[in-house]
Amino acid sequence: MEAKSPAYGVPPEPPLKRQKVLSATTSASNTPFDSSTPALSPAPVADLGEQMDLSERSKYIKGKKIGAGQYADVFEATLVSDRTQLFAIKKIKIAAESADVGISYDSLREIRFLQELSHPNIIRLHAVFSTKDQNLNLVLEHLPQGDLLKLVQDVQGTRYTPADIKAWMLMMMRGVWFCHQNFVLHRDIKPNNLLIAANGEIKLADFGLARSFADPYAEMTSQVVTSWYRPPELFFRARYYGGAVDIWSCGCVFAELINRAVFLMGIPPDNELNMVRQICEKVGTPTEDNWPGVTKLRSYVTPEEVIPERSRGSWLDQFKTIGEEGVDLLIAMMQLDPNKRLTAEGVLKHRYFTSAPRPSPLAELPKKGGGVESMGEELKRRGGEIPGEDSKVGGRGDRVARKIDFGNM
Amino acid sequence: MTQQPPPEVRALTEDDIYRTSSQFRVWSFSPERLAELRAKTHQIAVERIERQRTQGTNGAIQGQEDGRQDGEKPEYLTEEEELRLVQRYCDMIRATNDHLNWPANVKATAIQYLRRFYLSNSPLTYPPKEIYKTALYLANKAESNGWAVSAYAHRISAKPEEILACEYKVMQALRFTLDVRQPNRGLKGVMMELDNLVEGRPDTQLKAEVESLAPPEDGAKTSWVPGSSVRERVQLAYSAARGVLDSPALLTDAYFLYTPSQIVFAALQIADPPLAEWYLSKKVPAASPIRPKVLVTVRSCAEMLSSFSADSVLTKDERAALETKLERCRDPSTRDLVKSHLAKQRGEGANDEAKAAKKKLQREQSLKEGEDLFGPSIGSANGTK
Repeated sequence: MEAKSPAYGVPPEPPLKRQKVLSATTSASNTPFDSSTPALSPAPVADLGEQMDLSERSKYIKGKKIGAGQYADVFEATLVSDRTQLFAIKKIKIAAESADVGISYDSLREIRFLQELSHPNIIRLHAVFSTKDQNLNLVLEHLPQGDLLKLVQDVQGTRYTPADIKAWMLMMMRGVWFCHQNFVLHRDIKPNNLLIAANGEIKLADFGLARSFADPYAEMTSQVVTSWYRPPELFFRARYYGGAVDIWSCGCVFAELINRAVFLMGIPPDNELNMVRQICEKVGTPTEDNWPGVTKLRSYVTPEEVIPERSRGSWLDQFKTIGEEGVDLLIAMMQLDPNKRLTAEGVLKHRYFTSAPRPSPLAELPKKGGGVESMGEELKRRGGEIPGEDSKVGGRGDRVARKIDFGNM
Repeated sequence: MTQQPPPEVRALTEDDIYRTSSQFRVWSFSPERLAELRAKTHQIAVERIERQRTQGTNGAIQGQEDGRQDGEKPEYLTEEEELRLVQRYCDMIRATNDHLNWPANVKATAIQYLRRFYLSNSPLTYPPKEIYKTALYLANKAESNGWAVSAYAHRISAKPEEILACEYKVMQALRFTLDVRQPNRGLKGVMMELDNLVEGRPDTQLKAEVESLAPPEDGAKTSWVPGSSVRERVQLAYSAARGVLDSPALLTDAYFLYTPSQIVFAALQIADPPLAEWYLSKKVPAASPIRPKVLVTVRSCAEMLSSFSADSVLTKDERAALETKLERCRDPSTRDLVKSHLAKQRGEGANDEAKAAKKKLQREQSLKEGEDLFGPSIGSANGTK
């Protein structure tokens, strides 16, 4: 199977060292079973699981708190053996876990998938350990430069070029491609889940809503993806879907990077119907003509007035700064019919990436998407909170916060 | 415009990706290594009980109500008995999962959780009767099956707190890896491909090849009889192979020793050998340098799976007898998991929190003073990259 990134050779490449680490398959977090007594053992009769947990935990020194939320606290940390290496430890609070569930679905999903996905453009989970047998501590990559959302919103302070956008898109799509290659759907791609590393690399984070591809004929929930980035098939409550849902979200991120404004923003009242209306107005009304079978989806409802699919010229008008190839890619990612949308591999092979301008090298990318506090802010949240549920659980109220931000612009 | 990758970078293969999985990194073993681990785990568990027993005269042991005299060495379950008891509970997970009508991937994941748990824990410390419900519930969550613990507990006549009490324990023993790579979807893929083939897609040449295959010999698991259609042959091979995945593959060490695709081919091999060999030769042609290795591995996996007999699973009575024996020798310190779980969650937790805050304050102070609490760093040799 050809499993190499199809856009290989298009700069900026992740440094070669990282590529080799990836294929060498070693992971620091999972040293094979070692039944010899580790350095720090609580008692000679601790079972092997306890021993290994403890030896993992004793590798790190927890530092200052960089984020605190009701669901998790985030700390800076270093290695005992090397104080220069920084990590972020996300400590999931017990009390936050509901009594009727135990360890939450989100935590389990995040741990499950991050343990499997080792890629330069996906946040790295170095280790997991428990404290007091009760708290889960996730040792994550330290990403001190904030996230893409903060960068996009910092209109006054940060300028970026189409070449920068291309570099970010390339890194994001490599991460998404790798997820799909591993049969993982992310299901919550948006600018604030794209964190920025010290060297400028983009890292896909927050796997709280992720799941592996379903078996053929097995149903999935449509209650995923933050609404501004949610594809039409999920609004229509499709039960069977695939990687195309993530591609739509990536398309929304692409559009947002270009114009520094959310592309599909629900107009108050911010409900699903209004989001569908937005999609109809800005992309086109899904009909049997442009999307065979769409009317059979369970919640297929569209505004009465049928708006034809948006013309290439109209896309070009709104997104001309990214160039013709960029607009063509955007259109291909924002196809209403998921079957017509490009796959992650298709996106990476798109001529946009191989035409001028070349993507910016890492060193030249603007950083400072909010800094280390921003990482703390991002990580302390429950993974993959669904906006509609925020008010109920008193969560981050993401959309509310963002509406205020954008209202000021 | 695109450049050729430099020579030291090569394309990722499917194998490379599999090797990044936690199943390969942490949960794949040689038979010898597996035996060694289990022996070590058994030994630690016995030591732990013995230690408590010798200190027990001071009143450290509680809950011995079987009238056994202190100081009398109990008869421990043997390693073999431990294994068979765990196997029996793997079967119990199968039955419960089917009873609840949960999908096959939840079942396979739950059973691997249980098997993995007992690599680093002994039934002497945590009897499988208590752990298996948690393993199944955790798999339900990890596989996005969506049942609340109350509904689940109700259906299996258990208490929610029993199920949740050992969740962290199980997570720890799983080393916080939750993904289980399974052969089920792979088998479905093979079946879809074969289905298309016998319909003449992509071409009738391949269909003709399947039609001219020798019939399976006696002993093959398929119930196909020569004379009926090839379409039926494929269907029956599939259902026989699925049976192999559902029982022998789950009740043996197959997942520890072989990859999912090896298990798929082995299951097909058991179901319908001529069909399996033909299909394999389409994927790994005779000229392929890896073919001998693939064949040997698939065959040894098939041998292991076909030598499994459902009769070898403990009967209800045998299980009861073993559990009576276990009751007499089990670790007294882990007897009440619900209680210790709640204690950790409430009292001790709060206490530790206060202690931790104090410790942190001290550490920050000493850091300010330029002291290194942990002494000089001990080099970066065991560093995490």
